[in-house]
Amino acid sequence: MTKTLLKVSNLAKSFGGATALRDISFDVAAGEVVCIIGPSGCGKSTLLRCINHLTAPDSGFVEVAGSYIGRERKADGKLRMQSHREIDRMRPKMGFVFQQFNLWPHLSVLENIVKGPIKVQKRPRAEAEEQALALLQRFGLRDKAHMFPSSLSGGQKQRVAIARALAMGPELMLFDEPTSALDPEIVKEVLLFLRELADSGMTMVIVTHEIGFARHVADRVVFLDRGYVAEAGPSNDVLSNPTNPRLREFLSQITSDQPAAGKGSSPAAEQPIH
Amino acid sequence: MAFDFNVILDNWALFARGTWLTIIIAVAAVAVGFLISIPIALMALSHRRTLRWIATAYVEWFRNIPFIVVLYLFFYGLPFFNLRLPEAIVGTIALAFFASSYFAEIIRGAILAVPKGQMEAARAIGMSYFQGLWEIVAPQTVRLLVPPSTNTSISMVKETSVLSTITVAELTYQGLVVQGETFAPFEVFLTTAAVYWVVTAIFAHFMHRAEKAFGAAQGAHQARTSLADKYLLIGARRPA
Repeated sequence: MTKTLLKVSNLAKSFGGATALRDISFDVAAGEVVCIIGPSGCGKSTLLRCINHLTAPDSGFVEVAGSYIGRERKADGKLRMQSHREIDRMRPKMGFVFQQFNLWPHLSVLENIVKGPIKVQKRPRAEAEEQALALLQRFGLRDKAHMFPSSLSGGQKQRVAIARALAMGPELMLFDEPTSALDPEIVKEVLLFLRELADSGMTMVIVTHEIGFARHVADRVVFLDRGYVAEAGPSNDVLSNPTNPRLREFLSQITSDQPAAGKGSSPAAEQPIH
Repeated sequence: MAFDFNVILDNWALFARGTWLTIIIAVAAVAVGFLISIPIALMALSHRRTLRWIATAYVEWFRNIPFIVVLYLFFYGLPFFNLRLPEAIVGTIALAFFASSYFAEIIRGAILAVPKGQMEAARAIGMSYFQGLWEIVAPQTVRLLVPPSTNTSISMVKETSVLSTITVAELTYQGLVVQGETFAPFEVFLTTAAVYWVVTAIFAHFMHRAEKAFGAAQGAHQARTSLADKYLLIGARRPA
């Protein structure tokens, strides 16, 4: 029924001697929200960066809407490396929202958003600005269009970063730790905002270490451990009834410093094992 | 002993011509040197080892040799390869190459000072490396480039005096000519010194204003940044 939008197969990446990803495979269907969770240093961010080829993987394949990025498996089964130009053309199909947002400080909010459409897609400025203003309107930032990023709050910066990515008309969105650079108070606001974005039909892959966040936002959860997908499935199943012992351990560590999210008040007893 | 102003007054035309040539050579060498330095700096930042090695060798070569030796290598080296050019041109070329090694280091440092995430954000929306460099990174380096480039440019204005050794009729050369005719070295070189000082001071003044202009343009939105963001804007939002 739903088509696969993102297909990651056998992705591996190591840096010098350190192996970040060993063998990662998973699919994301159109309209789905997938959270990638795991202990810090397990390669979550590396995986995200390999998906849009900001970091080139050592082996394995990434397909977005049926097209390979970076490494391509030809019809005869042979490997072909795409040119820089081909990769550059694939990248904006995936909107990437950085942990630190990486807005361009020398450009106004509006310029941050129209830069890609004008310079990469060669669209007329008037059209790009109209689209950017519509996005800002939708995100409640219409009045910030001519301000510079430095005068925005963290949450506002993030929304501008999302608008900048959406302006390129991506097939899906990649979020690297969307809550970690923000004050804890506004995490809920971000959560609602991302939920809204998901409800508008946007496919999203979110790297996070906040389990509560994953629980609320994700349709499915992928748990990474030591460079492998240790467990994956619908978020309720995976987070409530983890079968993998490493995931169980991870969840028990995490939940102990989470505010009691509706369930039992004793953190240790929060995850009953059936 | 009295300072003989007539030495200067009688020969003012020579000083003026020498000053003019000094300015032209300095401007040309700095401009050409800066242009040459851009690809050198980019090579130094390349992920290809050979390109990095070439850039490092280039910079180290020119930076570790006195300019007068560089000049002689060009002056005597070009005819060796059957290339005969006017001394003023040879001198300008030599100075441009010499200056480019310093500019390359300045540019490399400025590019490195721009956070990596800036380029990554450019690449993420589909820009090529050079597009990201031109659209996103370069504008952010200007403010960082101006102060060290001013210093290097001033040094290059002064280095033009070395061109007198290959008979380029710039300011120092004219000073030597006037001294030879008048036997009044103190008057001549005090005047020469004053002219160099005025030329570099005027240049530095304009660069300083450019620096302030860039600083102000950035400051307009950055002065409010960290401090205000932390203590004023977010602080005011919190109670709500």
